Amino acid sequence: MKVAIFPPNSLILADLIERAGHKALVLQNEIRKKIKDPEIDSPPFNLTEDDPIKGLKYAAIEVPSGVRGRMSIFGPIIEEAEAAIIMDEAPFGFGCIGCARTNELCVFYLRKRGIPTLEIKYPKTKDETIELVNKINTFLDQLEEKNG
Amino acid sequence: MSPKENHEVCHDDNTRTRMIILGPGAHISQNELVQKLHMMELPLTIKSTCYGAMVYGDQEFVNQAVKKARKLDPYNIFTKDRGFPPGDPRRCRGHRGAAREGFHQLEKEFRLLGHVAEALEKPRKVTIEEPEKVSVDDFREIVKKSLKSSKLSKIKDEG
Repeated sequence: MKVAIFPPNSLILADLIERAGHKALVLQNEIRKKIKDPEIDSPPFNLTEDDPIKGLKYAAIEVPSGVRGRMSIFGPIIEEAEAAIIMDEAPFGFGCIGCARTNELCVFYLRKRGIPTLEIKYPKTKDETIELVNKINTFLDQLEEKNG
Repeated sequence: MSPKENHEVCHDDNTRTRMIILGPGAHISQNELVQKLHMMELPLTIKSTCYGAMVYGDQEFVNQAVKKARKLDPYNIFTKDRGFPPGDPRRCRGHRGAAREGFHQLEKEFRLLGHVAEALEKPRKVTIEEPEKVSVDDFREIVKKSLKSSKLSKIKDEG
C-alpha cells in the first residue's frame, strides 16, 4: 500500500514503512521530478509560476503563494495515499517543511481523506521510541490484513 | 524538443539516489559498507559519507544495492530516498559552505536510531487506541469551564 508520511521526509517513518513491504510516499521523490525537469532553468529555485496555480486546488487565492507552491508538491502525495502516518510535535522544521501553515493544511487534508491514519507523537525518550516503532509496525501489519 | 516532450522525458527518468545510514549500534563501518557496495559490482555511483553511504543510479540497481546492504546489518542499517544526486552543486556541502538542507533533520533522527534498532530487534505487541470524537455534552462542559476560568482571571486582573 502507498503510505503518506508526515513529516514528509522523515527517515524513521519512511524506513519502517519500506521494511514492512509498503511504499512510502516521500517528499524527495516529488522534489526529484522538479530538479530533473529540463524546463526549470533557474535552480535552486525550482518552483515555476505554474506551481502556485496548481496549488489553488488545495488553498484559496488569498493564501500566500508560498503555501500554494508547497501544496502543489505535497498535494499529489496526499491524493495518492492509501494510508497515512502523522507524527506530531516533530522538532524539525527545516527547508520546505518549515512552513507551519502548509504543515497544518497537509495534516488537515490527510485527515479529511478518510484513509486509515495513525497519529503519533515524536518520541523524546527510549521507551517512547520503542512504543512508537511497535505502534507503527502494528498499524502497517493491520493494513496488510485489511488489504488481504 | 517541445516543452511537453521535455516534461515526458523528465518523468521517464529512472534514476534514484538513496542514502544508506548506519545506526549508532551498527556492526560495520562506513568504509566497510562502501567496500561491500563496490563489491556488488552494480553500475552505481557510490559516495562515502559521514552517516554511511549514498548510492545513485538506475532504480533497479539502487533497489538491489539497498536490499543487499540491509542484509549486512538488518536492524542497524536505515535507508532514505534523496531528491538530488550525490555532489549536486545545489545541495553539496562543499559548495554551500555549510551543512546541506536535510542534514539537521538527519542529525535529530539519528539520535533515535539506536532505540529504533532495539525496538526492531525485540518487537512487542501493542494495541492502537483509535481517537474518539468528543461528544457535544463533553464539549459544552469544556467550553463552560474555560469561560468560567477566563471570567475569573479577568476579575482577578481588574481587582
